Amino acid sequence: MSGALFEVDCVTKRYGGLTAVCDVSLELAEGDLVGLIGPNGAGKTTCFNLITGADPCSTGRILWEGRDVTALPDWKRARLGMARTFQNIRLWKDMTALDNVRTVCREADEAGWLDGLLRTPRHRRVEKAVTAKARALLARLDLERYADLRAGDLPYGPQRKLEIARALALEPRLLLLDEPAAGMNPSEKQDLMRTVERLRDELHLTILVIEHDMRFVMGICRRIYVLDHGERIAHGTPDEIRRNPDVIAAYLGSAS
Amino acid sequence: MGASAFLAVTLGPTGMWWTHLLVMVGVYALLGLSLNLINGYGRMFSLGHHGFWALGAYAAGAFTVHTFGELPGPLAFCGSVGAAMLAAAVGGLLIGVPCLRLKGDYLAVATLGFAEIVRITIQNLPEDFLGGNIGLTVPRVLVVRSPDTKGDFQLLWALLLLLAVALVALLVRNIVRSARGRMLLAVAQDETAAGLLGINPTRSKVATFVLGSALAGLAGALYAHYQGTIAPQEFTFLEMVKMLLVVVLGGLGSITGCLFAAFLLLYVEQVLQLAGQETLPFGVPPLPASWSWLASWWSVVYALVLVLLMIFRPNGLLGSRELPDLLRGWFGRRKPPDSAEAFR
Repeated sequence: MSGALFEVDCVTKRYGGLTAVCDVSLELAEGDLVGLIGPNGAGKTTCFNLITGADPCSTGRILWEGRDVTALPDWKRARLGMARTFQNIRLWKDMTALDNVRTVCREADEAGWLDGLLRTPRHRRVEKAVTAKARALLARLDLERYADLRAGDLPYGPQRKLEIARALALEPRLLLLDEPAAGMNPSEKQDLMRTVERLRDELHLTILVIEHDMRFVMGICRRIYVLDHGERIAHGTPDEIRRNPDVIAAYLGSAS
Repeated sequence: MGASAFLAVTLGPTGMWWTHLLVMVGVYALLGLSLNLINGYGRMFSLGHHGFWALGAYAAGAFTVHTFGELPGPLAFCGSVGAAMLAAAVGGLLIGVPCLRLKGDYLAVATLGFAEIVRITIQNLPEDFLGGNIGLTVPRVLVVRSPDTKGDFQLLWALLLLLAVALVALLVRNIVRSARGRMLLAVAQDETAAGLLGINPTRSKVATFVLGSALAGLAGALYAHYQGTIAPQEFTFLEMVKMLLVVVLGGLGSITGCLFAAFLLLYVEQVLQLAGQETLPFGVPPLPASWSWLASWWSVVYALVLVLLMIFRPNGLLGSRELPDLLRGWFGRRKPPDSAEAFR
């Protein structure tokens, strides 16, 4: 289909005899804010891994602006413009918050090993630009005061937000958020919802979010995909999903 | 002229002992710093650093032998250092490209095998090529004044090694605090996250490994020129253990720790060899002859220390801290931890 920024086309992932994701298709247009929900073990994070290239697909294709990127390694896909956060926080814990963001800024590629080794003017210019960008990103997520702290020492909520800041340093077009609100208290969740919507508008992002918190998902997503046992069982607006009998059965168990 | 006037100092036995110690400390500090780049900052587990050291030493030796009499001394020296670093870097590339794509301990096994291949190959090549078992004699190309005295030679090399260590320590620090260095640290801490955020982990690891190998080659070149004779038996796995001890004792990811550990290890080693002697150089504590058994058991002692460190302090004594930070922590005014301040 044309016009889609990003498509998952009939993707299946098997681990030995276990089918974690079965024939799932998703499609996101530019500017979409879409939710991916399902009970525990439904295959949501596996989906993210297939999309970002952390795991290879068994069958199916991943399309980026109509181009097949299934064979690209993870770091090349990231550079195309898809960035993600992790369900179990995967910051570089021993680095400062600022360095976590700076490391991902692709402007740094301009300076090679020799520039760093010999402290050339180019190294200095790149460092300055990267630091300014990283500080601006931290400010955008209200994390400036943590900039020089070790990332592993931050409280839980700021660590989750730092993951988002780090992903944004790639200047992605597609942002994949894996349970961004997990472990946050209600006011932090409210704050995060507003932040995600604001980021999408300000940075013209397309966002796919996995989240268990229904208020969060129903509150910000225009469309929702529902997975259960690795299969896509529903797709629609929040209202449609709320009334869908298959979804209710998947979450609460069927009455029969 | 100023330099030669400075070097006109005559070194007594004390001076010679200390300059020899400084040169050896310098060689092991270079090896430790370069291994720290790979094993400490990069968290890759290489066990073949002595192979790159040998490659560098023999490349420098062969270059010097073949150009002797044709090139002026300083040029021959610089050329041999270049050849050594190049040979070690190529070796690092050959072993790094296939192994660093894999995760886990493949690298340790492959590098260990590589180092053994280097040593045994040198041993078995015809003697007129690299000296075989007997060793290769490296002609002296850097002469301070003629006639050349042992004291001049020692002093020159102590200064050269100090310079090289200072330079390499600065380079390592620069690398680690640059954009590429941050990518390396990111890959070392969480390779999967690094890959998913647009960093090419293989490239980052290979580049670091090659750089570390080249610096080991530099150590080899300086060692070969200083010793004058190099033999395959000098580049065994025991040396690898010693280098690991320098890195682990100092701290994985600590430059000053590395320098301190190299000094401590070599100082104790050299002091033990003097156990029971009557006249001792200044700065050497007198040890009774009954201690000389420790000199013969020395390699067992340091291997044991390494094992104990690996069990109880796997990140090394200093971790990734630097000595000045540590001293400030001990003697300076105690500040509340930064994190406490930010949450206030």
